[in-house]
Amino acid sequence: MPEPRGTHEHNYTCEEVVELATEYVEGAMGPEETTLFEFHLNFCDGCETFVDQIRASAGAAGRLGAEDVPADVRERLLEAFREWRRS
Amino acid sequence: MESRVHADETTLVARLRDGDEEAFAEVVEALYPAMIAVARGYVRTRALAEDVVQEAWLGVLRGLDRFEGRSSFRTWALTIVANIARTRAVREARSVPFSAFEPDAGGPSVEPERFRGPDDPYPGHWRSYPTDWRTLPEGKLLSDETLAVVRAAIGDLPDAQRAVITLRDVTGCSSEEVCAALGLTEGNQRVLLHRARAKVRARLEEHLDA
Repeated sequence: MPEPRGTHEHNYTCEEVVELATEYVEGAMGPEETTLFEFHLNFCDGCETFVDQIRASAGAAGRLGAEDVPADVRERLLEAFREWRRS
Repeated sequence: MESRVHADETTLVARLRDGDEEAFAEVVEALYPAMIAVARGYVRTRALAEDVVQEAWLGVLRGLDRFEGRSSFRTWALTIVANIARTRAVREARSVPFSAFEPDAGGPSVEPERFRGPDDPYPGHWRSYPTDWRTLPEGKLLSDETLAVVRAAIGDLPDAQRAVITLRDVTGCSSEEVCAALGLTEGNQRVLLHRARAKVRARLEEHLDA
């Protein structure tokens, strides 16, 4: 079982850190909270890994690729475009 | 794809106004996933969302002469989708209630059992650390198999969370665009995004640790 490595880690518990991960990653955290949060990450490999996993999850979602427009939808839209062009 | 549309926006709008069908086909391809995601935030079924998006494109074409470029073309188009979807949601019995965008209490991002209890000398700290994905074999995280897990996890999310993560992480919209299109505050948008990412993370962990 990993032992917490320093007193700074105790500003936030790991259980709190995991709920703040997106706020941190998004840069939406205030400067004081950011300092405390980063102190925790510096001392806690588990939370540092968790924040990386949140980033990686967002990154993987970004690799899903655009879904294709269904052929029938595409046809109807192009037809609507031609009609609009004629009007 | 979105960034290309964004970069050449003035040209794009001019080409559309000129009746350039190729330009129209391109922009439909580029914006379709984001438009569907916005519509799905309001209406229950995929079919209804496709209807909304088609109607929105008619609105885009009709409004093209009034588009002044104060917002990006995408933001403007997504707002049109949202307005139509909202109207439709009021009409349809099976629509998503507006409260779907109010983040409820929701569960924790990580199962509470993963943390030490109140009687432990270090309450609220990990019992055992999550696995470091940076040590995975190259390509494992972005393999087709792993991405299928991500896609399934997003598909299983509640409507509002799915709409937000699709717009932010899959199609690359900014938080401002998402807040405008879905009528969310910045804070609520972030809560929904966090819940969604946390669930995708948990599914990935389950898959990668197996």
